[in-house]
Amino acid sequence: METLTLTTLAALNLLFSGNAELWEIIAISFRVSGVAILVATPPALLAAFFLTYQRFPGRRLLISINSTFLSVPAVVVGLTFFILLSRQGPLGEWKLLFTQTAMVLGQIALAFPILVAMGHSALQAADRRAWETARTLGANPLRALFTIMREARFGLMAALLAAFGRIIAEVGASMMLGGNILHYTRNIPTAIALESSKGEFAQGIALGLVLLTLAFTLNALLQHIQGKGQPVT
Amino acid sequence: MSDPVILALSALNKRFGKREVLRDIAFELRPGECTLLSGGNGAGKTTLLRILSGLERPDRGRIDTGKGPLSWRRSKAALQKRVLYLHQQPYMFDGSVRYNLGYALPGGVPKPLRNALIDTAIDWAELGPLDETPAKSLSGGERQRVSLARARLRNPQILLLDEPTANLDQAARRRTLDLLKCFKQEGVSLLLASHDPMHFSSLIDRHLHLYDGRLAALEDQKLMQIPPLHTLASLRSTA
Repeated sequence: METLTLTTLAALNLLFSGNAELWEIIAISFRVSGVAILVATPPALLAAFFLTYQRFPGRRLLISINSTFLSVPAVVVGLTFFILLSRQGPLGEWKLLFTQTAMVLGQIALAFPILVAMGHSALQAADRRAWETARTLGANPLRALFTIMREARFGLMAALLAAFGRIIAEVGASMMLGGNILHYTRNIPTAIALESSKGEFAQGIALGLVLLTLAFTLNALLQHIQGKGQPVT
Repeated sequence: MSDPVILALSALNKRFGKREVLRDIAFELRPGECTLLSGGNGAGKTTLLRILSGLERPDRGRIDTGKGPLSWRRSKAALQKRVLYLHQQPYMFDGSVRYNLGYALPGGVPKPLRNALIDTAIDWAELGPLDETPAKSLSGGERQRVSLARARLRNPQILLLDEPTANLDQAARRRTLDLLKCFKQEGVSLLLASHDPMHFSSLIDRHLHLYDGRLAALEDQKLMQIPPLHTLASLRSTA
């Protein structure tokens, strides 16, 4: 118990003393996951929109396939991209393995199905008359699409936060695709894994506290957003 | 009937699964004319309005918007330019009444003109005190007035209304009818779907009745009556 208290105090000291290495790891985490979310969101929401508003053969199959990808472990995604990006792989020429770009690709693959599934639910929950009213009031399909997104924004924001929370905390894909290189691809989860394996618990706990604070902030935001999204009575 | 026809339908058919909802529907709409479309629940009134507004695709038939035979895609575009459909329960976008009214205006309208047009619509529909109220919190009658003001800003040639006075109290119904009269006086062609024709006696020029997927035009003297079922069963599309 005493060891845990001392380690936690050391972790807090590391965090608040502005330890450069620690804050660099945090910055890499946020940069990689932020870029992954920014890239994944537009196509994922467009896919969610088509699955909600268009009727085409194979639509239900696509929804099922997407739902299946929700439960694929991060390490399997990492392994798939590792094979694709490795020197002998079909995309080996791109020389992306053990770069932040490779980590971004892995995280996009993890975030995409979450954004599609939750985006689809949010759009399905939105009133279909919104689309029809927008179109009948002269909005072109693009403007009507943005209108629907605006109407369903609370559900869509929840999707975004959930996806971000998932990818910033995943370790499997980041470890395999980034290689945990200090000052370059070492992010919060891979650093925790490494430091713990070395018996250096203080930095692991400090980074764990950052993830915990992030998880709390995202959940608080989610609650706030969902509260705002309640219909007016 | 010297007024030009602005929309003509012929041999229009629509089926949902095995159920034939509309059969050989044919009629014309003229400017400044108010047509009542009656029929029981599930008679196909809403489906017909949705087809005319381009929201639903017919299986067969022709919709002539004065540009000759067109593909459904082009017909739909032509319909969406001139026809405006109002749902039975008007949808309000998340935002103020002013935001909802502004939605009907094209994006390129300069802000001062935009505000002036919205103000005019607010005055027209007597929405002054509700200007900045969240539209989703409005009552049924107020929503109906916002949707009509929104329609006026859009300036359609044809206005399709699905049960526009359903669930409204007497005062709200009277205000809605007054606004509809304004549209009619301005030359807008109104097509009202309702199973209660009596509410619109002061407004309508023509009464069409949907029964068993077919359309029947009723004589002037029977304008306000729903015909008995046995007479309708033998009717053919005569509109």
